[in-house]
Amino acid sequence: MSRIYILCVEDEPEVLTAVVRDLAPFEEKFPIEAVSTAGEARRVVQEVILPRGKLGVVVCDHVLPGEDGVSFLVALQRDPRTASARKILLTAQAGLAATVQALNQAALKHYLAKPWQPDELRAVVRRQLTDFVLEQETDLYPYLTLLEAERLSEKIRQQPLPGDR
Amino acid sequence: MKTRQWIGLVLGLTGLLLPWLVPLPGLSFPAQVTLAIFLLAAAFWLFEPVPIYTTSLLVIFLEVLLLSAEGPLFKLLRPPTVGPRATGVAGEYWVPAGSVGADQSLLVVKPAGGKERLRVERLAEEAGLVRVRAATLSTNSVVLARPDHWTAGYAAPGYATFFAAMADPIIILFLGGCLLADASVKYRLDRALTTLFLRPLGDNPRLIVLGLLVATATLSAFMSNTATTAMMMTVVLPLLAGLPARDPLRVTLVLAIPIGANIGGIATPIGTPPNAIALAALSRTGAGVSFGTWVLMALPVVGVTLGLSWLVLLKLYPPQTAALRLELGGGFERSGRALGLYAVFGLTALLWFTENQHGISSNIVAFLPVVALPMFGIVGKKEIHALPWDVFWLMAGGISLGTAIKSTGLAEWMVGQVNWTTLGGFAVVVGLAAASFLLANFLSHTVTVTLLAPLAVSVGSAVGRSAGFDLTTALVAVAVASSYGMTLPISTPPNAIAMGSGELQTPHLVRAGGLIGLAGMGWVVLLARFYWPWFAP
Repeated sequence: MSRIYILCVEDEPEVLTAVVRDLAPFEEKFPIEAVSTAGEARRVVQEVILPRGKLGVVVCDHVLPGEDGVSFLVALQRDPRTASARKILLTAQAGLAATVQALNQAALKHYLAKPWQPDELRAVVRRQLTDFVLEQETDLYPYLTLLEAERLSEKIRQQPLPGDR
Repeated sequence: MKTRQWIGLVLGLTGLLLPWLVPLPGLSFPAQVTLAIFLLAAAFWLFEPVPIYTTSLLVIFLEVLLLSAEGPLFKLLRPPTVGPRATGVAGEYWVPAGSVGADQSLLVVKPAGGKERLRVERLAEEAGLVRVRAATLSTNSVVLARPDHWTAGYAAPGYATFFAAMADPIIILFLGGCLLADASVKYRLDRALTTLFLRPLGDNPRLIVLGLLVATATLSAFMSNTATTAMMMTVVLPLLAGLPARDPLRVTLVLAIPIGANIGGIATPIGTPPNAIALAALSRTGAGVSFGTWVLMALPVVGVTLGLSWLVLLKLYPPQTAALRLELGGGFERSGRALGLYAVFGLTALLWFTENQHGISSNIVAFLPVVALPMFGIVGKKEIHALPWDVFWLMAGGISLGTAIKSTGLAEWMVGQVNWTTLGGFAVVVGLAAASFLLANFLSHTVTVTLLAPLAVSVGSAVGRSAGFDLTTALVAVAVASSYGMTLPISTPPNAIAMGSGELQTPHLVRAGGLIGLAGMGWVVLLARFYWPWFAP
């Protein structure tokens, strides 16, 4: 089973800490990488995540020093190795143009406005991870405890019934 | 390919060649061919250089090629024949000396195929020819030049005999069972039954573990152990979300599923393929066991082992949480098709369990759902395509190998190799069951029983009932013991699924599965001594 990573990109340290803290329940099965710039995020994707597993979900701020969040997400979408990652924008200041670009060119899955409710963030990430796992994984049992069990169960029930050997 | 697989490949091919290179005394040629196929299959099944069900298909193919009348071996390699020469006296002929067997007979090839043994009167002999008197002989007759030729003594069956294993009645029984299981999952009957079992138990974790064991075993009696585990995992794993990470109850809940499924498979002939292989071996000897009789023989096994499993699990991994909230969704569906399924399922099960009363074979009854479910649109082509054909073929290979071992006389030869009469019949039963348990921990359970059943049948004909050996008991013990082979993650697919959840460590499984399996084996020995012989025909 290759590991599925959650990547958080946020330049303000306290905010980044809060995001990681809110997502802590997922860390048991989904390792979390937290970075503060798009450049650092690219390096972590190339050097840490892709050699060990897959990028499952990106929670990304838009306004970052240097390259902005949306163009980083677009770059991820263009790379076939990270195109399947589910992209979430967590921001207070993404203008209409940037948001439209994220939707059209980065297949943005969710737009979450700051300030966020921890439960809401967890629900969004849970749904996106479930989508990712349903789309990418064949063995779904390891995810029944953490993700949306109902949808995973339904997929398992749809598969051909295995026989004994 | 791994080293293990290379070993299997080399051993298998050596096994296939061995009986040809080293002819064994007292073994007819077809029996040697069968032995060759058996050795190849055993090596391939043990070491898996190719998937086990493809080995089964290879077995059937080799039998058709090497043992059937239409296969190249018996079609092309005909024994040499001669025509009798006239002597001038009616009813008296010259034939080669070698063609007259020690019992003063000729083997005459019949025009329609097959051979006929013809007694003759030996009159004179000169220059390698024998003058014989035989009224029905003519100069047009075809006589075997050497009646002791390796192909002579064997009436090669038509190739259809070997292909027939793929539609053996016992496979039809499984086809019916699997289609019922598919339909039950489609209409969520398994969920409704699980709810029915668990709802009255409240939130007491200990009772819930018992409920899970019983519900899983009950489903597994009608569905494959693996499919049951897959379905029940989707019930159990979401429950863990609300439990503390260190609560042993997590382990207990996850372990209850594969253990319940492995044990539940024992309950009915369709519970798991090893039962079917044992039944097929029994029916070849003419001592069939009905569906209801099997259930009666198996119920004490299942009931006691489930209770034991409950105690073992709670002892090894006692729950710390005081209350476990179950979120059980879904009652029985009430759509027309779901009601149709209940009717077909109910009728089929009723006819299966009452086989002793009405006398219609459960194999025939099993075709009722096969016909009715697709006909009424309860299942469609999707479900039919999704049937576990690999499992049916795995079983077919085992069944046809058993047929060949019996029909070529290999079985009798195997018996002759050991002086079984010095062993007690009961000791043999225990030995076979122990071998089954050991092998099943490492091998496919179906393969385990496939390899051991011919041994049991052979011993049965040698030792006989006089020495306290009962074939029915032996084969049931072998099948039941194979189901106890659940110690390791690789022992059974249900174990593999449970391990795949990531909630278990291997020692959890080994401790619980090993303890329950060993205790179960003790129970099997008691039942084999005191209970199962009651059902002997």
